[in-house]
Parts: sequence; C-alpha cells; structure tokens
Amino acid sequence: MDEGAAPAPAPQPPRYERRAALLVLLFVVLLAGSVLYLLFARGLFEPTQRLVLVADDSEGVTVGMDMTFSGFPIGRVRRIELADDGSARILIDVPRKDAHWLRTSSVFTLSRGIVGSPAIRAYSGILADPPLPAGAVRKVLSGDASAEIPRLLNATRELLANLTAMTASDSALANTLDKLAKASEKVEAQLGGRRGALDLMFGAEAPKVVAAVERTNRLLESVDALVKRADGVIARADDKLLGEQGVAADAQAAVRQLNTLLTEARASLARVDGVLKEAEAVARNARVATTDLGALRAEVDASLRKVEALVDEVNRRWPFKRDPELKLP
Amino acid sequence: MLRMDTPAARPPSITRSLLQTLGRRARGSWHVVRLAATIVGLGLSPSSYRPPWRAPLAAHVVRAAWPLLPWFTVLSAVLSLVLIRIVLVAAVSVGLSQLALEMLVRVLVLELIPLAAALAVAVRVSLPGAAELALLRRDGALDSLRERGGDPLRGEIAPRALAALFTVLLLAAASGVVALVLAYLAAHGFSPWAFERYTRLVGQVFSPAVSLVFALKTFGFAAAVSLLPVGSALHDAPRRGGVEVLGGVRMFVALFVIEAASLAGSYW
Repeated sequence: MDEGAAPAPAPQPPRYERRAALLVLLFVVLLAGSVLYLLFARGLFEPTQRLVLVADDSEGVTVGMDMTFSGFPIGRVRRIELADDGSARILIDVPRKDAHWLRTSSVFTLSRGIVGSPAIRAYSGILADPPLPAGAVRKVLSGDASAEIPRLLNATRELLANLTAMTASDSALANTLDKLAKASEKVEAQLGGRRGALDLMFGAEAPKVVAAVERTNRLLESVDALVKRADGVIARADDKLLGEQGVAADAQAAVRQLNTLLTEARASLARVDGVLKEAEAVARNARVATTDLGALRAEVDASLRKVEALVDEVNRRWPFKRDPELKLP
Repeated sequence: MLRMDTPAARPPSITRSLLQTLGRRARGSWHVVRLAATIVGLGLSPSSYRPPWRAPLAAHVVRAAWPLLPWFTVLSAVLSLVLIRIVLVAAVSVGLSQLALEMLVRVLVLELIPLAAALAVAVRVSLPGAAELALLRRDGALDSLRERGGDPLRGEIAPRALAALFTVLLLAAASGVVALVLAYLAAHGFSPWAFERYTRLVGQVFSPAVSLVFALKTFGFAAAVSLLPVGSALHDAPRRGGVEVLGGVRMFVALFVIEAASLAGSYW
C-alpha cells in the first residue's frame, strides 16, 4: 500500500493526540501496576526456604494455599507430588523473614473442616530450639473433622430411634403418662372431698387420724393444766429456798461463821508454829550442851590422870605410906 | 393430506433457500473473521501509530474512552460497593466471612467487571460506530474514498475497532483496580495492617492459570465487542432492521461463548 499516494485523512485537533497519549499512559500504568502487584502477591520478590511435609493423603491441598502459624500465613504450597512410597509430599515455600517461627521441634498438622479447604498449620512449642533448616522434611499430622460425621450420624440415628420408641403411643413412657393422668384426676377428685388430702393419703384410715388428732388435742389440754400446777409448786419451792427465812439465807450465815472459824484456826496454827520454833531452839541448845559435857569429861579424865600420877609420885616419895588406894569423892 | 395436490416444488425451494442463507451467513462470517484478522494485524503494526494514521486513531480513542472512562468507573465503583457490602454482610451472618473477600475478588474482578466493560463499550462505542460505518457503506462514501485513492480501512475502519478494543481494556483495568481497593476498604476500613493478608488472598485468587484465563477472556471480550459489529456492518448483506442487529447478535453470541469457555477454563 503506497501511503504517500493516498490522500491524508482529515486533520484532527492536536489535543486528541495529547489525550490519547494520556489514556495510553494511564492504561500502561494500571497494567504494569497490576502485574507487579500480582507478582508481589504471589511471593515472587521474597527469598524463601523450602519445607517438605509428608502426608498420607493430600486431598484438598492445592498449590498456592497457605500454611499458617498462630493464624498468620507464613508459607505457601508450591508443589504437591507423590513420593515413591505412596505418600504425598507437600512442598512449601516459607519466606526467610518468617522462617524463624519454625523450629526443629515444630509440629505440622493438616486439618480438614466440614466447610472450606483444609488448612496446614504449624505449631512451635519451644521457640528456643534451633531453627528449622532449609529443605527439612517433616511428617504432617492429619485431623479430619468430616471423618467424625458418619459416627455422629449413627449416634444421632440411634438417638432418634430411641426418642421415637419413647414417644410411641404404646411405649412405657406413654403408659406411665396415662397412669399419671388418671392418678392426677383421682387426686383432684379426692382433694375436692370433705377431708381433702387426708382421704388421699390415708384412705379408709382417715377417720382414725381425725380421732387421733382430737385425742391429741385433749391430751395437750391436760398437759397444759399439769404445767400450770407444776408452776405453782415451783413458785412455792422457790419461796422456801430463796425467801428471807429460806434455806439459802441460813446456809449463807453458816458459811460466814465457818469463815471466821477458819481465820481463828489459822491464827492458832501460827502460834503453834512459834512454839515449835522455840522448841527447836531449845533442842539445839541441848545438843550444844551435850557436846560441851563430853569435853568437860575429857578434861576431868585428864585431871584425874594427873592427880593419879601426882599421888603415885607422892607415894613414891612418901615412904610411909604404901597404901596406893585413893578415895575419890 | 388435503394438500397432496399442491406443487411438489415447495419443499426443495425451502431447502435451497435455507442452504443459500447458510452459505451467505458463512461467507459473511468468513469476511468478518478476515477483516478482524486484518484489523488486529494493523493494530500490531507500528505504522498504524505513525503519522498520518496516528491522528485518526488518536481521535477515535479519545472519542471512545475519554467520555466513557469517568462515568463507567464511578458507576462500576458504586455497583461494586453495593455488591461488596451485600456479600460481606451475608457472609458474616452465615459465619463464612473468611470466604467473602475471595468470593468478591473472583466475582467482581474476574467475572463481572470485564463483562460490564465490554457491554458498556458495545453500547456506547462499537455498535454506534458500526452503524456509522454501515451508513457510510450504504451512502457509498467508503467506495468514493477508495476511488479517490484513500484507504478506508486505515482511515475509518481500523481506528474505530482499535479504539473500542483499547477502551474495553482500559475500562476493565481501571474498574478492576478500583474494585480491589474498594473491597479492601469495605472489609478492613482505612487501616494498612490488613494489606499483607489481603495481598496474599489476591495472590491466591490470581493463580497463573486463572490469570491467563482472565487475560485471554478480557482480550476476547474486547475483540468480540470491537471487531464483530464493524465486520458485520461492512460485509453482511443489507437486511431489514439493519446489519447492526446482526452484528450485535454475533457479538453477544461471541461474548457468551467466551464467557462459557473462560468459566470452563477457570473452574474445571
């Protein structure tokens, strides 16, 4: 096509080109921004480390789903593959900035709710443990809420069957309720009778109960009279015991006299005590005198021996007298 | 039974006319497809963006997109907000609030907004443009231009179609971004702290396969809306009710097929 030979299209105002350029620029900005945002959202710009979870069953796990820790997404499923031993290998990319939440002791679970996709969760009990190395392979624990449903349904079915049996028209519960209804009608009829609840409770024995109550009333009246008499007796006894000329006043005077007597006896005993002390002193003097008497005798003995020696001496010197007898006074 | 004596030539003439109609339609469709391919080729050719063809293209782009962009963006924002609010409240009331945002992003950005943009451009730009072209064709203006040595394809037809195509893409991009922002604001308010989680969710929705299907679908919508009415206006035989109606029908059928294919691609 020869562009030069063709007549040029009708001239357009220059503002159209400016506005068209603006619109194209806006489109390019929107498109580039959206693409960059999506790439960022897909985690293309953040460094990651790989974690491999081994599960028995990867049903429901999809590429791109999150692995959460305390409810926060910290990893993304990148691939799911079947291992040689038939188990499912879930390859997860964990951003390096979040990898410190995973420790060697971390536990991973794959739980399936009744509604929604399954969730992969990580639990780190001991955050002081060494961090999980890149490329670590861990077994994932499965928890399946929907597996409980058949058991729950069976239990519910049994419960409903029991409930149906209980509420059937010929069931024991219905019979009991019938009996109860009849009994309540009877009770109502009897409650409306002359003796009311008494007839209901005692039946034919009710008149005897009434008689017993009347006798009890009479008994109570006689007891009342007896009590009044006993009251009088007690008042008189009280007078005798606690009156001005009563036993109590006499006893009080006797006690007072006894008290005086005891005081006097205490004084007598004090005097006896003095006498005893003097006797003790006399005995002590007698003992001293006895001791002195021994010394006196020894002195007398010594004097006698001296006299005897003197007499012997005189006798020796006195030749006329050979009679050694000595007459003691 | 009573008309056994009527001429026996009637059934063959019905079959023949049916076959003629089908053949005419098939030829028309083939011409439309060939024209569409030519226009796409021109759109990919750098010479279309150089003078002297830049000026008519710029004029048609501005006439198509400039008035449409503000009111369509505002309208789609209001409708998106209503829809977001309804879905969020309903999801909270049934206890599925964690799924509400994902559902909103899927329904609004992936499905409704491209379709709405295509329909808006069809109603405001491409069907009136096709009617203009049909009028020029009927009046013989295109033929006279060709006789004068002009190029009606580059001067009149391709700029209209490329402007409509660009407008669909622009409206879809702008409204999609606005809907994403509104969904965030409606769910989390003016708080920056949920941005990371929301970004993650958007990333999960726009998996590579879904993104590819979304891009192809939007391009398909834009192509169907911009090329088919123009092709119909130029190549279908004049008929009662105008060739614009036939172009519109073709366009809606194409939109339906593209939507069905994209749903099949995204969710199976």
